[in-house]
Amino acid sequence: MKISLIINKKKREIDVEPKKRLLDILREDLGLVGTKEGCGKGECGACTVLLNGKRVNSCLIPAFQLEGSQVITVEGLRNWKVFKPIERAYIENGAVQCGFCFPGFVISTISFLKKNSSPVTLDKIKTGFGGNICRCTGYTKILAAIQELADNKEIVDQIQEDWKNEFSASK
Amino acid sequence: MSLAQVNEIKFYRSQNITELDHIINSSKEELMFVAGATDLMVQEQEWKYSKILVDLTSVKELSQKIKTQTNGVLIGSAVPMSDIINHSLIKDKFPILVEALRQVGSEQIQNRATLGGNISNASPAGDSLPVLNVLNAQLWIGPQKKGEFEKIQVSEIMNEPGETSLKTNKYIAYVFLPFSEGENLFWYFRKVGQREALAISKLSLAVLGWFKNGKIENIRISAGAVTAQVKRAIKTESALINKELNEKLIDEARKLLEDEIAPITDIRSNIEYRKHICGELLRDALYQLNLGNKK
Repeated sequence: MKISLIINKKKREIDVEPKKRLLDILREDLGLVGTKEGCGKGECGACTVLLNGKRVNSCLIPAFQLEGSQVITVEGLRNWKVFKPIERAYIENGAVQCGFCFPGFVISTISFLKKNSSPVTLDKIKTGFGGNICRCTGYTKILAAIQELADNKEIVDQIQEDWKNEFSASK
Repeated sequence: MSLAQVNEIKFYRSQNITELDHIINSSKEELMFVAGATDLMVQEQEWKYSKILVDLTSVKELSQKIKTQTNGVLIGSAVPMSDIINHSLIKDKFPILVEALRQVGSEQIQNRATLGGNISNASPAGDSLPVLNVLNAQLWIGPQKKGEFEKIQVSEIMNEPGETSLKTNKYIAYVFLPFSEGENLFWYFRKVGQREALAISKLSLAVLGWFKNGKIENIRISAGAVTAQVKRAIKTESALINKELNEKLIDEARKLLEDEIAPITDIRSNIEYRKHICGELLRDALYQLNLGNKK
């Protein structure tokens, strides 16, 4: 089947099987290998992307439901001004080791901070990131990185601005 | 038959219910209804062998509609759980449902998962089931006949694990939640799992009711992940109705509930654990209730 969708602001037309997972479309058909497959069951969050502005597990979205939708992957976030500061916060807090879960965490960070303005409690962060698993860090450092980002008003404002740019320009 | 034909998969994406019902009525083959797909796509057999897919998320009424009526709220079966969680009227009138849905999977899952899917998946561990049961939820089943949906109670939907009572090519269109007839409402929902996020229930307990003049006027109790059927604990309920709560009564109710539920042993838990914890959860609920009533 042919579907057309907007991926990282670019309109793409692809020919795929109706049951093909969004995750495989991104990695195999479009070469966007930043999105990772961990469990393939919607539990680990390594394949998290933004679909029509909401974070979802791309391993659980079949192609036939995707016509006309808008997808943002970690590659798309490279153009966001806030990407560098987020990356830096994770690195400086020692929150990235093997890096496999990181793309999913970045998407979740943006989605979480878009909706939760400061002050953000540790409990709220833990609930908000319940769908992202990391097997290296033991989470303490990840939570510290997110807390640092959440407490920084400039970052939170920048996310709002980047979000506006992303979603108004692609229409 | 050639290989191409074997692998041929058809799919429909209707824009509205009229179109959807037309497709169903003119189809002779078995259809697979797909809402958020979060359960479906991990069930490899079922997903792999389904040949005709019918998208419910493309049907605007089903995926977007949360409509207030005079006697309750009508929720489209394919509305994502996060839309239900963030709906101001549902937060206000049905906080027990919001609490239960907040504990389903993760936010990534809640952005896709739906009530219709949670019910149709027919897992005894379906998180919404005990809550919908104590809310007396009604299910509107399509396709419509002479412009009317068939209406059944949520307690009638389960046949056995993985199988609903719905006949082939019937689908859940709406979930109707009636407003409570009592005042001074109390509610309790607790899910017990291996971890807090992304856990499948070992057991859950939903309690809803209201006081009048210091006595329990009405109480509904339903345990999740114990048996295939969605059942209320009627015996335990009747022991509590029209009574004033005290230590002795709470302990009696706990014992009654342990005997009344007939749980199974499976990979997630066993009979003894489920009975014991279910009783303790009821005790916890009634203690909280007693304190609240004395305030």
